[in-house]
Amino acid sequence: MTERARPHGVGLGLRWEFLEEVVDGPKLDVDFFEVSPENYMRRGGYYPAQLERVRERYPLSCHGLTLSIGASAEPDASYLTELRRELARLGSPWHSDHLCLSSSGSRQFHDLLPLKFARENLERVADRARRVQDALGVPLALENISYYGHPGRRELEEAEFVRGVVERAEIGLVLDVNNAYVNAQNHGGDPRDFIASLPLERVVEIHVAGHYRSPKGLVIDTHGTPVIDPVYELLELTLVKTGPVPVLLERDNDVPPLPELLSEVARLKRVYQRARETRTGYAKSA
Amino acid sequence: MQRALEAALSELVFGPELDPADPAATHAFFERHALAHDDRAALEQGELERLLVYRELVRGTLKAALEAAIPRSMARLGPRFDVYFERFVAERGSTSHYLRDVTSEFLDFCATDWRSDPEVPPYLLDLARHEALHIRVAAAAPESRAARPSLELDEVPCFIEALSLSRSAYAVHRLPEALEDRSAPERKDTTLLAYRSPEHEVRYLELTPLAADLLERWLAGAALGAGLTGAARAAGGDVTPALLEATARLLADLSERGVLLGTRHEPAPETSAARQP
Repeated sequence: MTERARPHGVGLGLRWEFLEEVVDGPKLDVDFFEVSPENYMRRGGYYPAQLERVRERYPLSCHGLTLSIGASAEPDASYLTELRRELARLGSPWHSDHLCLSSSGSRQFHDLLPLKFARENLERVADRARRVQDALGVPLALENISYYGHPGRRELEEAEFVRGVVERAEIGLVLDVNNAYVNAQNHGGDPRDFIASLPLERVVEIHVAGHYRSPKGLVIDTHGTPVIDPVYELLELTLVKTGPVPVLLERDNDVPPLPELLSEVARLKRVYQRARETRTGYAKSA
Repeated sequence: MQRALEAALSELVFGPELDPADPAATHAFFERHALAHDDRAALEQGELERLLVYRELVRGTLKAALEAAIPRSMARLGPRFDVYFERFVAERGSTSHYLRDVTSEFLDFCATDWRSDPEVPPYLLDLARHEALHIRVAAAAPESRAARPSLELDEVPCFIEALSLSRSAYAVHRLPEALEDRSAPERKDTTLLAYRSPEHEVRYLELTPLAADLLERWLAGAALGAGLTGAARAAGGDVTPALLEATARLLADLSERGVLLGTRHEPAPETSAARQP
């Protein structure tokens, strides 16, 4: 098994648009890169070869898309086997995916659909998450998603549901502060309250991204624009509470030239540092 | 609970478009799904309409994957693409965890109907498969076979995994790359060998009928000599010095391109997805 280099600091989602610059260019001021293993699993050729070279230079964090932890059907055993192999190959110290539904029966949505915030789902998903973690052989973390409608009557608040799943399963939480912001915009509430209600001691990684406001007013988590100021502010508040967990900038659509992304990473690093200092100040004064 | 909600979500996303303002349609929708009373009530009070956004999101992702793989075929299909895409989403959809597989799933779904649809150019399936071949070969599984770097007539030739023999009725590989081009390809039975070079580039080699026959036999597991004899017989002749010389040239070329790795004694298993025509 490959030695696992732990992501730390501020990372960037690795996208093929700037892969060559990451591999062949000078070492970047990026602390780690995030990859979606589905893009490299069962695959040979250029991209897996380049990823090997990235791995030699930077720690990697693996963030999957198609686990579908909340589906009524059990996860595909062959997918889990392949995923375990890929995680070992890449040396990711943990694996994360989304607290959602991304398939129904044999059909893949290739998108992240919401689960009903219900106790029955909480228990079912938590029990499954424990089994998946065992199957993968690395710690599992689940991310709070952006959702645009709720499938049925809410028995629990979103934060209760997320907290319940990760605590019952004893797994990690990937806290996406942009998703918290987007959900508050679409469904009401204060994202700071949402975040404060989560088990922050379980946060293994924080995600930030940009979003899009549709003409009808719905905010869509596109990962296709720069991070906005309120999300930076939310990130800083969160980091003060969580301490220095890795922060990831995700950009999947309309990917700009790498220097623009690096400029966002630099701003995130300043936020990260400021939050550390604030936290240290709190600690000193406590 | 989850099973019923999941089925309802699945129909909302993949099924016929539901107008949430149409009471008869929404009533029929709820009748099809045995949802709990309070879940149904929440959906009726607005969540159903909100959840419809996933129709667009899911379609957008699938369509973007197809646009990346078969852009020229989509451009030539024009509005007919949307008809087939909607049918694909409604009737089959994607079952793979890997978004890159959506293209082959879509083409498998469309193949039969495209052949008989007068609004679809007769060469379109060949063109789409040719376009899709690029990603399939580029992403084919890494090498896993060991071969002796020798060529013995009684041994099975061993090729790289990342290759595909592609047969078509049109010379679609000679069409211009421009999206706006609408010229028709020459009607010509064509066999292309697509392979991934050691530098990870996808390359194409147009094969003569004899070379195509030989490669097909060897890829199916025939020994070098048996493949040669079979191809000669199929062509109605014997193994002549000229045929031997042509075969030697072919093998040398394939070896130089990094496609032929050598030979091995045992029969080669057919494992590569990239080899399926």
